[in-house]
Amino acid sequence: MVSTAGQRPASRDDGRPRPPGAANGHSDLSQRGFPPLADSRLRPRQPVVILAGGLGSGKTELAINLCLRLRATGDRVRIADLDIVKPFNRCREARELLADAGVELIAPPGEQFFSDLPVILPEIRGMIREAGAGEPEEMTAEPGAGIVVLDVGGDAAGARVLASLAGAFRPDGYEFLLVLNTSRPFTTDLAGLSKMCDEVRAAAGLVPTGLIANTHLMDETDVETVLGGYRAVSELARTAGLPVRMVACDERLAPALPPSSFDCPVLALTRVLGLPETRGARKSPLTYV
Amino acid sequence: MKGAEAIGEAAIRAGASAYFCYPITPQTEVAEYLAKRMPQVGGVFLQGESEVAVANMLFGAAATGKRVFTSTSSPGFSLMAEAMSYIAGAELPVVFINVMRCGPGLGGVLAAQGDYWQATRNSGHGDYRCPVLAPCSVQEAAELTVQAFDLAEKYRNPVILLADGMIGQMMEPVSLDSLTPGVPSEKPWATTGCRGRDPNIIKSLYLDPHVLEKMNLRLSAKYRRMVDEEVQVELYNQRDRLDLLVVAYGTMARICKTAIDILGEEGLHLALVRPISLFPFPAAAVHAAARHATRVVTVELSQGQMVEDVDLALRELGPSEFFGRSGGVVPTPDEVAGAFRRLAKGACQ
Repeated sequence: MVSTAGQRPASRDDGRPRPPGAANGHSDLSQRGFPPLADSRLRPRQPVVILAGGLGSGKTELAINLCLRLRATGDRVRIADLDIVKPFNRCREARELLADAGVELIAPPGEQFFSDLPVILPEIRGMIREAGAGEPEEMTAEPGAGIVVLDVGGDAAGARVLASLAGAFRPDGYEFLLVLNTSRPFTTDLAGLSKMCDEVRAAAGLVPTGLIANTHLMDETDVETVLGGYRAVSELARTAGLPVRMVACDERLAPALPPSSFDCPVLALTRVLGLPETRGARKSPLTYV
Repeated sequence: MKGAEAIGEAAIRAGASAYFCYPITPQTEVAEYLAKRMPQVGGVFLQGESEVAVANMLFGAAATGKRVFTSTSSPGFSLMAEAMSYIAGAELPVVFINVMRCGPGLGGVLAAQGDYWQATRNSGHGDYRCPVLAPCSVQEAAELTVQAFDLAEKYRNPVILLADGMIGQMMEPVSLDSLTPGVPSEKPWATTGCRGRDPNIIKSLYLDPHVLEKMNLRLSAKYRRMVDEEVQVELYNQRDRLDLLVVAYGTMARICKTAIDILGEEGLHLALVRPISLFPFPAAAVHAAARHATRVVTVELSQGQMVEDVDLALRELGPSEFFGRSGGVVPTPDEVAGAFRRLAKGACQ
C-alpha cells in the first residue's frame, strides 16, 4: 500500500511522518468541521463509492468531506485520488488533513504526486477487489465499516480512468455517484445534465447508481440556488431512473435549507481546498505543498 | 466558472471568431471549453500540430481582420515567440493568453509567475513591445480578456493576458453580462480580397534600413502612447502612513491582501499596489504610494522579476525588498504575513 500517511512526510514543518490518526480523535474532527454523520442515509450503501461528474462540479470537496465524516463516525476510510486530468484541486492536496484524521490516501509516490500523468497505482485495483469481497450491506450499514472512496477526474476524460479499472469492480458492489452542479457551464439544464451523465457513463463503462445535487456559486450561494439545483437534478433523476442520493451544501447555508424541500439527506460541507488567499490562513484546514 | 472557462467565454463575447491551440497544462481547460463552445457560435476551433504552427495560424488569420487568439502555458509561449515578433512587425491584432507554470525548461505543471520578463520585455526578437494584462480573479480574467481584444485592435498589436495556473484553475462566480466589448473597428488594411481596390500587403520585411527605421520610430511612438494611456492599477488599503507597502500581481496579490488584513488586526498598516497592466507598468502609482511607506516589498511567485520594475519606479525611494516562492510552491497568507511582519517591524524600529 502506498499511503501518503505512511510514506510521505505528513508535515513540512518537521519533515517527520506521523502515524495515521495518531494526532487527532473524533472530537478534533468535529471541531474542524467534520462531525460524525448523524443521518444514516448519508452512509454508503456499498463498500466502494465512486464520485464522478463534470469538471469543477465539486467531487473532490465532497469526497474529502465524506471521508472525514465517515472517519469521524468510526469507519476505516481509504480514498484513491484518481484525478489524472489536472494538477490542481485534487484530494491529494489535503493529505495532511486526511492523514491527521487517519484517512488513508492513495496517490502516486515521489514526484509523480505532483503530475497530471495517467498514473493508476496497482494497489487501487486490489483495494477495490478487497473492499467489494464482503457482504456490502453488513459492511456499510453500521459505523466501523471499511469504505473505499474513488475521487475521479472531471468530465468523460476524467471518468475514462474507471474503464481501466472495470474488471476490479464486483457487480452491485459499488455506488457510482454523479456529482452535479447546475451552475456550471454545460450542465445548467436537463439536456446538458443528461449529456454529461451519458458521456461519463460511456467513458467509465459503469452504470451510475445515483446522483448528488451540489449546485452552488461559492460564497454567493443562497437557498434558492440550492433548491433550483435540486429541482433540476431531480428532473434528471426521474428521466434517468436514478435516485438523488443526497444534496450537498456549504455548512454555513445548510441550517437555512427547509428540510421538507428534499426527499434525500443533506450533506453539509466544510470547504477544504478553497482559494489561495484562504489556504493556511487562520481557520483553514489546509496548507499548500 | 473556472478562470480558464471564463477566459474562453469572454473571448467569444468579445467577438473572437477563431481560436488556435495546442494543449498544455495548466490551461487545457480553455481549449476544452472552446472545443465545445466555438462550434455553437459558428467560430473556428483548431488544434495545431505545435505551438509554432498555432502562432503562425494566428498570423495568417489575423491578417484577414478577424478577432483571433490562442492560449498556452510557459513552454508553449516560448515556442510562439518567433511568430509573435512577426505579428508585432506586421502590426496585427492578436490576443495571446499565457497561463504561467513553473520553469525554466519543462519545469513543472504548478502555478508560477516566472514569465514576467518574457512577457513585459520581448517574447521574440526585434524592437517591439506588447501590452500585458494580469488578472487576479476569475471575473477580472474575463474582463481583461475582452479588453485585450479591444487593445489589440486599437494598437494593431499583439496583447498578452498573463495569468498563472491558480487563476486558470480557480472557480468563482462570474457575471458575463457586465462584459462590454468594444465594436470591432474598420480594418482597411485587412487582406479580405482586393477586387475593386489595390492589394493590401501585410509583411514585416523591410530591406531598406531607412524605411525600417521609420517604421521602428512609428512603432516606438505607438508603445509610448500605450504607456500614456493604458496603465491599470489597483490600490488596496492606502493610508497616509504605512509600515510597509506591498507590490504584487495576480494570485500573489490575493494572498497579500489576506496577509495585509491579518497584520491590520495586529495594528500594522500595510497597503498593496497591484499592477493590472504589467506593461505599461504603473510606475507613477508605485512611486506615489511608496512616499507614504517606510519600506516597500515586492512579492512574486518567482525569484524576482517584477521587482526590477518596482526598483525603477521607486527611483530615490528604493530599492524594494523582495519575497518570493517558486517551483510551484504557493505561500500561504500566514507565511506571507510572517515575512511582512518581520519587514514592517524592522521598519518601525
